[in-house]
Amino acid sequence: MIDRQIPQERMDLVWALCYGVTLLFLLRLVNLQVLNTAYYRDIAEKNRTQVIAQSAPRGRIFSHDEVAVATSKPSFSLIYFPGQLKSGAEIDHLAQALSRRLDIDYENIRSGIYRAVSREKPVRLAENLPAKTMLVLSELKAVYPGIDIIVEARRFYPFGAYLSHLVGYTSKMDVKDWTRLSKDTNYSMDSRIGKAGLEKMYERELKGKDGGIYLEVDSRGRLNRVLESRKWVPGADIFLTIDSKAQAAAEEGLEKSISGKGAVVALDPRTGALLAFVSMPDYDPNQFVVSGSEKDKLAPGEILPEFNVALQGSYPPGSIFKIISGVAILESGRVKPEETFFCPGYYDAGSRIFKCWEKKGHNKVDFITGLTKSCDVYFYNAGQRAGALNIEKYARAFRLGQLSGIDLPEEKSGNVFGPGPRAAKKSYWFIGDTLNLAIGQGETLMTPMQAAGMIAAVANGGFFYRPYYVDRIVKGDGETVPKGKPEILSRVELKDSTWQLIREGLRNVVFEGTGQMAKIEGAEMYGKTGTAQNPQGKDHAWFVAYATVNGEPSKVAVAVLVEHGLHGASAAAPIAKAVIEAVLRGDLVKKRAAPAVPAATTTARGGAV
Amino acid sequence: MIFTPQGGLKKSRMDWVLFISVLILLAVGTVAVLSSVAALPQQARIIRVQFMAVPIGLIVFSAAWSLNYQVYQDQWKFVYGFLLLFLFGVLLFGVVDKGARSWYRFSFFSLQPSEFARVGIILVLANFLDKRINRIRELKTVLGAFALCLPVFFLLIKQPDFSAILITFPVVILMLFASGASFFHLAIILGYAFISALFPVLWTMITLNPELMDSALIGYFFNLSTSFWGAASFVAGVSVLAWLLWQLSVRLYANVSGVYCAGAALVLIFGFFSGVLVKGQMKEYQQKRLEVFFSPESDPRGAGYNLLQARIAIGSGGIFGRGVFSGTQSRLGFVPERHTDFILAVVGEEMGFLGMTLVAVLYAVIMRRLMQCARLARDRFGYLVSCGIFGMFLVYFCINFGMILGLAPVAGVPLPLLSYGGSNLVATLMALGIAESIYARRYALV
Repeated sequence: MIDRQIPQERMDLVWALCYGVTLLFLLRLVNLQVLNTAYYRDIAEKNRTQVIAQSAPRGRIFSHDEVAVATSKPSFSLIYFPGQLKSGAEIDHLAQALSRRLDIDYENIRSGIYRAVSREKPVRLAENLPAKTMLVLSELKAVYPGIDIIVEARRFYPFGAYLSHLVGYTSKMDVKDWTRLSKDTNYSMDSRIGKAGLEKMYERELKGKDGGIYLEVDSRGRLNRVLESRKWVPGADIFLTIDSKAQAAAEEGLEKSISGKGAVVALDPRTGALLAFVSMPDYDPNQFVVSGSEKDKLAPGEILPEFNVALQGSYPPGSIFKIISGVAILESGRVKPEETFFCPGYYDAGSRIFKCWEKKGHNKVDFITGLTKSCDVYFYNAGQRAGALNIEKYARAFRLGQLSGIDLPEEKSGNVFGPGPRAAKKSYWFIGDTLNLAIGQGETLMTPMQAAGMIAAVANGGFFYRPYYVDRIVKGDGETVPKGKPEILSRVELKDSTWQLIREGLRNVVFEGTGQMAKIEGAEMYGKTGTAQNPQGKDHAWFVAYATVNGEPSKVAVAVLVEHGLHGASAAAPIAKAVIEAVLRGDLVKKRAAPAVPAATTTARGGAV
Repeated sequence: MIFTPQGGLKKSRMDWVLFISVLILLAVGTVAVLSSVAALPQQARIIRVQFMAVPIGLIVFSAAWSLNYQVYQDQWKFVYGFLLLFLFGVLLFGVVDKGARSWYRFSFFSLQPSEFARVGIILVLANFLDKRINRIRELKTVLGAFALCLPVFFLLIKQPDFSAILITFPVVILMLFASGASFFHLAIILGYAFISALFPVLWTMITLNPELMDSALIGYFFNLSTSFWGAASFVAGVSVLAWLLWQLSVRLYANVSGVYCAGAALVLIFGFFSGVLVKGQMKEYQQKRLEVFFSPESDPRGAGYNLLQARIAIGSGGIFGRGVFSGTQSRLGFVPERHTDFILAVVGEEMGFLGMTLVAVLYAVIMRRLMQCARLARDRFGYLVSCGIFGMFLVYFCINFGMILGLAPVAGVPLPLLSYGGSNLVATLMALGIAESIYARRYALV
C-alpha cells in the first residue's frame, strides 16, 4: 500500500464506534421487540380498537312460585362516533337537533359530543331512551352521520319496593368498586353492579358476560371496519325460596299497620327456607338503575331506608319471650304445670311493685293459663322459682345472642340478658332483674329473624336450621345448581311433655287467649303475642306463630314486628294470619273442599289424609 | 480499464457484497414504503416516484461506478460551482413545501438539491484536504475546510434545511479526523459544538424541571447574556481565569502551552454565545422535540405522539413481525411520516425483530465495505471520499435508528435506501457508485 500520509489507525477508532452503535441498537431492539412485545402489542391493539360495550342482561330473580322479582328490560342508548363533524358550529347544530327531538338537556349533549371529538372515542350521549325514539333517530341518522343507537339490557324491578331489602339494588360503581373491579375485563367504567342484598352477594352469578361491538378505527378515530360483534351472555337466574303471595300479604299487612314500620319474617320450619322477608320502611330499587346515585338527590337529613329491620333491628321481645321462660320453667322441674299462682294484677317484690298487664288480675293461674293469658304474675312467680340462670340458659339455647346464620350482611345478634352477662360486667343481679327477664323485658333484645327462628324451633321440635333464601340458580346454558340445602345449626333438646305443654299453650293463645285475631279456619294455629315496652315511644307489637294443617309437620312459622304497634294482638297478629294463609293456601283449599271433616277431632284428622 | 496483474488473477471490479446489501435494503425499503402508503391520499404519486427513483438511482449508480472518480478532483471547481449554483437556484426557482423552499419542481418529478449537496461537499472537501495534507496539522487548514463548507451551509440555512446541515457537519469533522487533523483542533471544534448544544439542552431540562432553576445557575448565565455589560464581564472573567491558569501552569513548571488556555477560553466564550444564539433561534417545534426526547410522556398527544406511536409500532412487531401489509399502527395512521423518517417503524412492526436486525446488519455491512474501500483506495482523494461516504452513512444510521429507538432526539432525518424520497435515493446511490468506482480502481487485489 502506498504511503498516503494519512493515519490509517484512526479508521479503526471510527469502526469501533460504528460497531458499538450497532450493538447498542440491537440490544435496544431486543428490549423493545423481544422482551416487551406483549406490552406494546397490547397498546397497539387498544390503539386501533374501540369497544362499544353492551351490558349483558343481569340474571333474573324469581320467587319460589316463579314470579319475577327482578328482571331486565331493553333500553336504548344514543352513541356518537367522532370524526364526522369538525367545526364547533356543526356540533352545536347537531346537539340542538338532538336535544329538541329527544327531549334531552342541550348542554349535556353538547358537552358529550365535544368529549367524543376531543378524545376521538365514541361516547354515550343519552341512556335509557324510550323505545319510541327509535323512529325519531332513524330520521336523524340519515341527516347527521355519526349518531347511532344501541340496545342494552337494564335492570327492572316490576314490583318496585317489593322485597327490596332482600334483593337489594344495582347502581353505578363508585370509586371503591372501580378500584376493586378495574382489573376485571368484564367490567367497564359505566357498568352497573349490585350494591346491596342479593344483587351484591350474587353479583358474580347475576352479572353475565358483557357483549360489545369491536370497531377498528384509524388514528383520527374514524371507523375503519367492524371487527367483531360479540353477543352478550346473560347472567344466571336465581330462584328464591320466597313465596310471592306470602311476601305480598306481609308487605300489604305491614304497610297498612298503624306505623307502617316493622318486619315480617316467615320461615319453613322443616328446612329453614325463607318464605317471606319484609322490612319497612323500604325503597324502590328502580330509582337507582337510571340515575345512578339516588342518595345525592335525597333531601338533606333524609337517609336511604337501607336499614334492615328484620336483621338489624333489635327489640325487647316482650311476651313472646314467655315461650322461652316457659320452657325454662318446665324443664327446671321446680314448678309443676298444674301448680297455680294467684294473680291479683300485680306482684310485690318487696322494694317495688311489678304489675301484670291485666290490672284486674287473672286469679288462679296454672302454666297453660299463664301462657294463654300471658299472665305476667305467673311468670314472675314461676320464673323466680326456675331461676334466672335457667332462663338465660334456654335463651341461649334458642339462639339469642347468636346470628341466625342467614347469608346476608350486617346481621345483628340481639342481646342475652341474665346473671351471666351481668357477672361478666362485674355488676349485680337483683330480683327485679329476674322478674323482668321472665317476661322478656329488661335488657333482652331480639331481632325479628331470631324470633322467627325461635317459633320455627317450637314448630319442628327444637331444630334451628340455617335460614336460606336462594333455592336454585339456573345458569344461562340451562344448568341448574341447587342451592337450598337444609343445614342444622343447633337443636334444643327438651322433654316431650314440655313441647306438648308449650304447644298447647300456644294453641290456646290463638284459640281463646290474646291471639284470637290470628285464627284461621281449617288450620291449627299456634301463636304468641308480645308487646315490647319502648321507653322512647309507643310500644312495639310482636306476634310469632306457626300453623299446621291435618297434623302434618308445620310448613310455616312467622314472626311479625310492628314498630309502635301498641298491641301484638291487634297490630301484628292479623299480618301473621295473612302470611300463613297465603303460604298454606293450597292445603287450606283442599281442606275446605272436604267440608264433612271437623277440624278439632283426632279421629277425623286421620280420615282426611 | 481492465487490469490483469501477473499471475492471471482478475481484479474484481465490483464490491458485490456492498452491492447486494444495497439491493436487499432497496427491496425491503420498497416493500415497507408500499405498505406504509396504503392509506395515504398521495399513494399513487408516492408509488410512482418510488418505482421511478429506483431504476434512475441504479442508472446513476452505474454511471458513477464506471466514471473515474479522479475526474471530480480534477474538475473540483466545476463541482463546487455547480453545487453552489444548484443550491442558489432553488432559493430563486424552488417551490415551498412544508415550510422550506428546497424543491425544484418539474412537470413530472421534483428535485431536492440539498440531497446532492451532501455528496458534492464530500468531493470538494476531499479535494481540499488532499491538496493540503502537508499542512493538515495547522489550524488554518481546519478553518479553511470549514470556510469551504460555509457558503453551502449558508445556502442550506436559507432554505431552511437543518437536517442537511445536521448530516453534513459530522461528516466534515469525520473527514478532518480521517485526514489526520490535530486532535487539539478537533477538540476545539467539538468542544465548541458541545457547549453550543449544551445550552439549549440544559435550558430544556430546566423547563421540564423548574426546580433545577436555582441550582444549575443557568438562569443566571442566561440573564448574563442579555445585557452588554453582563456579556462583557463574562468574557473578561473567562479570559482572566484562563490567563491565571496558564500562569499557574508556568509557575508549576507544567509548561502548558498558552495556546491551549487561550483555545479553551475562546471555546468557552464562543460556545456560550452561540449556545444562547441557538437557544434564541430555536423554533417552537425544535424546542418541543428536545423536550420529548428527555421525557417522551410529557406530551403524549402533541410532540411526543410520533415517538410514542413509533415505539409502540416497533414493540408490537415482536420477533417475527405482524406480517407485511398488516401492521395496524402504521396502516391506520398512528405513526406519522411513516414512509419517510419513520420507515423503520413500519419495518419493525411488519417484519419484526428479524427485519430490524437485517436492516441494522446490512447497514453495518455497507459501512464495513465502505471502510474497506477507503483502505484500499488508489489515492488519498479516494480514501477521503470513501471516508466521507462512510461518515454519511454512519450519521444517517445513528440519527435515524437512534431517533426511532428513543436514543436520540427527533431530527427529521430519513434513512437512505429505505425511506421514500427520490432525490435522497438517487443521491445515495450516486455516492455508493462513486465508492464502487474507487473500489474498482484500487491497487490491491482483493
